[in-house]
Amino acid sequence: MASSVPFHHLACCFSVSQQEKECFQQQLWRTTRARYSSSRIRATQQAVKASSVEVPAFPLFQPSQLEEAASEQLEPADPDFYKIGYVRSMRAYGIEFKEGPDGFGVYASKDVQPLRRPRMIMEIPLELMLTVSKKHPWMFFPDIIPVGHPIFDIINSTNPETDWDLRLACLLLYSFDCKDNFWQLYGDFLPSKEECTNLLLATEDDLLELQDEDLASAMRKQQSRAFEFWEKNWHSGVPLKIKRLAREPERFFWALGIAQSRCINIQMRVGALVQDANMLVPYADMLNHSPEPNCFFHWRFKDRMLEVMINAGQEIRKGEEMTVNYMPQQKNNMFMERYGFSSPVNPWDEIQFSGNARIHLDSFLSIFNISGLADEYYHNDELSGSEGSFVDGAVLAAARTLPTWSDGDLPPVPSSERRAFKELQEECRQMLAKYPTTSEQDQKMLDSMSEPRRTLEAAIKYRLHRKLFIKKVIQALDMYQDRLLF
Amino acid sequence: NEDEDEGIEHVYVERPPYHSYFDSTSGQLEPASGARASIPGEDCWPEGTSDRVRAARAPAPAGAISAGSSSNGQNPGSRRRKHRASATGPRSSDAIIEVKDLEEETAEEPRDESSEYVIYQMEPEVEEETGFALDKKLGRPHPFIDPKVKKPIEGTLPEEELWWNWKKPEEEQWSRWQRRKPDVETVFLKAMAENGEVKLYGETPSLTETALYRARKHLYKEERLRLEQEKLERIGPMAYYSEWVKAWQRDTSREAVEKHFQETGQDETMQLMEMFSYQTDREYRIMMGTDIRIKRDPLAMRLKEDQIKQIWGGDPVYPTINYKQDPNEIIDYRGPDFHEPTPNMVAYLKEHGKLISRHELEQTLAKEKTEQVELTDMDDAMARAVDIGENDEEEETSDVEEEDEDSKLPRNWSVLKTAPELRKSKPKAKKEGAMNLDEAIDDSENLTDFLMDFEEE
Repeated sequence: MASSVPFHHLACCFSVSQQEKECFQQQLWRTTRARYSSSRIRATQQAVKASSVEVPAFPLFQPSQLEEAASEQLEPADPDFYKIGYVRSMRAYGIEFKEGPDGFGVYASKDVQPLRRPRMIMEIPLELMLTVSKKHPWMFFPDIIPVGHPIFDIINSTNPETDWDLRLACLLLYSFDCKDNFWQLYGDFLPSKEECTNLLLATEDDLLELQDEDLASAMRKQQSRAFEFWEKNWHSGVPLKIKRLAREPERFFWALGIAQSRCINIQMRVGALVQDANMLVPYADMLNHSPEPNCFFHWRFKDRMLEVMINAGQEIRKGEEMTVNYMPQQKNNMFMERYGFSSPVNPWDEIQFSGNARIHLDSFLSIFNISGLADEYYHNDELSGSEGSFVDGAVLAAARTLPTWSDGDLPPVPSSERRAFKELQEECRQMLAKYPTTSEQDQKMLDSMSEPRRTLEAAIKYRLHRKLFIKKVIQALDMYQDRLLF
Repeated sequence: NEDEDEGIEHVYVERPPYHSYFDSTSGQLEPASGARASIPGEDCWPEGTSDRVRAARAPAPAGAISAGSSSNGQNPGSRRRKHRASATGPRSSDAIIEVKDLEEETAEEPRDESSEYVIYQMEPEVEEETGFALDKKLGRPHPFIDPKVKKPIEGTLPEEELWWNWKKPEEEQWSRWQRRKPDVETVFLKAMAENGEVKLYGETPSLTETALYRARKHLYKEERLRLEQEKLERIGPMAYYSEWVKAWQRDTSREAVEKHFQETGQDETMQLMEMFSYQTDREYRIMMGTDIRIKRDPLAMRLKEDQIKQIWGGDPVYPTINYKQDPNEIIDYRGPDFHEPTPNMVAYLKEHGKLISRHELEQTLAKEKTEQVELTDMDDAMARAVDIGENDEEEETSDVEEEDEDSKLPRNWSVLKTAPELRKSKPKAKKEGAMNLDEAIDDSENLTDFLMDFEEE
C-alpha cells in the first residue's frame, strides 16, 4: 500500500528547498477516496521510510523513533509570518504554518469532517499577490509598476508565449524594491539562494551528478536562457533603478527559480475581464505537492481573493499536511526541471522499455490490489487487508509504465508471462547497471556529505529516486511472479 | 471666551446606573432605554457580510514576538530557520559565508555561538483577562468604561447633587420591612404626632400605627360622607344646598318646598335652579371645593418642607435628590378594605330582597295558578302558515276593522313614554267586598285582570 510519508521526516532523502514547493512532501495515497485511517499512516510510514532510506523493502528501524524525530523537527513558523498577512486581511482558518528541516509546510490544526462543499482554509487578497496576465496586454494585479519605469520595458520585451517566468521574476525583483510592498516582508520567508534546490543555480558538477543527460541539457538550456536575459537587460549601462534589482546573475536566477516553482496559473476574473494569469501568491505557495492532494485553489471574484480550499468529502486529521497537485501526471524529470524535487514514488513516472515483452495487466493489478481506471490507479485497502505496505506510488507507476496487454477475458498464458517478466526484469537490471553508481552508493554519499549544497543534494536524490523506482519495479515483478496463480 | 462660558453650566449627562428594572405595570423586566428589535440572522445579511464576519472572527495571530526582523527585500530567506543536522559545519561555498557575514551584521541580538538557530518563544504567554476585559471579550453585559480605569468627568456634579438622579435607598437591609420608605400615611402620621394630634409609641410610626391611621382616616371619611348623605336626605336638597347660597333667605324646609310646588308648580329641581341662580361664584367654588384659599387639609399645609419632599418630592419639574425611589419597587394598589372579613352574602342579599328562602318560594309557587293554555286544533302546517294577503276579499274588511278598533298601540306612544299624565287614567275597579290588595292579586289569574279595559269586551 502506498504510504503517506511526510517526506521531510526522512532526514536524508529529500531535496529540501522551499523554493520548489517541497518535493512530494507526502505521498498520500488514500485507500478509498474519502477515508483515511490514521493508523495506517503509521504503519505505512514505516515501510516507505524504510524503502526509501534503505534499499530493502523491510523496515529495519523502529517507526516510533522516526516519528518522534519527525514531529520534533517540525516547529511552528515565525509568528511574524502569519502576522504580516493577517494585518493585510489575509486569513488562515484551522491551519498552521510549520517549519521543518526541509522548509515550510501547511498543517491542519484541527480535525475536519468530510463536508459536502469544499472548505476554505486560506484566503489571500489580491493586494498581496504579484500577478501578470499571460497574454497581451500585460496587466498587473496589483499594479505596482509605475508608468515610466524601465522594468516595464523589460517585461514588454519578453515573448508572450514562453517567457512568463521571466516576467514574473522581474516583477518579483521589482517588488523587493518597492517601498512598503508586502513582498519586502514576505521575501524573508522565501528560501534563500543556498536553500534553493532549483537547478538554475546548480553548477556544472551538480548537473553531472544527475546522471540524466536529457534533464541536464534541459537545465543547461534554461540556465543559458536566463543568463542571456540577464545580460541583455542588466548590462552595465542600465539605469540604477534596474541595476539594483539584480546586481548579480545569481540573484536573477534565484528570482527566476522562485517564479518558476511558486507560480500558480489560474484563470481569474477581475471586473468583467476573465484572463489567464500567472500569480505569485504569498501563503498559498507554502503548500507542498502531492499526487493525491488535499486542497485546490479557487479564485473568489467577489472580493478578489484566492482561496485555498479542502476538497469536498475530504477528511482531515489534526496535523495532516495540506497539499496541492502542482503538475498533474508528470514524470520526475519534469518536476525536477521546474521545481527541483523528485520522488521515488511518483505514480506517473515512466521507464522506457524496448522490446516486445508484455505482461498481463489485469493479473498485475489484481495481485497488487490496484483499482481504478488507468488515470487514477489507487491501492485498494479493503481487498488487501494485511498485505501491508509494499504497494506505493512506484508500483502504481509500474502498473502504468510496464508494457502490458489486456484482452478481455483471455487468461494469461503462464509460459509467455514468465518469459515476459523475465525480459522486463532483465531490462530493468540493465538500466540499473548503466548508472555509474548504485543506489546504496548514492545513499551513502548523501549520508556522508555534511551540509551539502542543496542543488547537489537534489541532484543526488534525483538519481537515487530513479534507481529506487527501477528497483521497486523489479521487486514488483518478482512479487508478480510469485503470486501469479496458475 | 471664558466670560461667555461662565454663565453656562456644562453639565454632563451620565447614564443611569441600572440597565433594566421591573416595570411596575407589567411586572416584567424592562430595559432602561428603549428596547430594540432582534438582529436578523445570517440569511438576511447583505452580500459579502458573512465573508467579512468570518474574516473578522478569525483569531488574531498569537501574541508571541518574533525574534528576527525584516530585511526589507535585501536578504530573501533571512527569517527562515536554516536547519542543519549538524550544528556547525564547514561552509562549502564562499557565497554562503558572505551571506552569513551579512546576517551577523544585521542581527541585533547576540547569537549563541553554539548554535546557528534563531531563538523562538515556543510557548506564547497567554494573558488571561479578568473582570471588565473578560466581560468585554465574552460579550457579557459590561459598562462602557472599565470601572477600574474610569475617571470621573471633570466639571460634573457628584452623583449626590444630580437632580434627576434615580437612586436606590442606600442602606443594605436584610428585610424590606426594616425601614419603610416615607409614604403619605407615614409622613402624615408623623406630622400629626409632632403636632400633638396623635400619640405614637416611638418617633416614627410603626406599621401597625400606620395601618391604624389609614383605617381610621378611611372610616372617618366614610362616616363623614355618610353623615352628609343622611343630612341631605333628611333636610332635603334645598335646605342642604342653601348652605352655600347666602342670598337665599326663604324657607327651605320640606313643607315649604312642597307648598311652593303646589302653588307654582315648580318642581324641586326648578326651585333648586332658582336658588342656585342666587349663588355667587365664590360660593360656587367653595361648594365645589376648588378654592385654593380654603385650606382643605390644614395638616398638609403645615407639613415641614422635608416632610413634603419625602412624599411628593418637592418641585414636580425638578425633583430633588431627596426623592428616592426604588426602580424595582412593586407598587401595591390594594385598598384599605383589602383584608375586610368576607361579608355574609346571604344575609345581605336577603336584606335587600334579592334572595328568598325556600319556604317563601314554595309558598309563592303554590299560590300561582296553573295557566290554562289554549291548544288550537290546527295542524303543524296550518300553524306555520303565514297570511300573505292573497285573498282580496278580506282586505277591505280588515281595514275597516282596524279603523274601528283602537290600535293596541296608541299613535302617540312615544310621547306617552315621557308624559305619563297623557295616558287615560283607567277607572279604578269597584271594590267588591272587603278585599285586600294581596288577596286581590292572589285571586287574579294574572295581572291582566287588573286592566279594566271594558272596551275590548
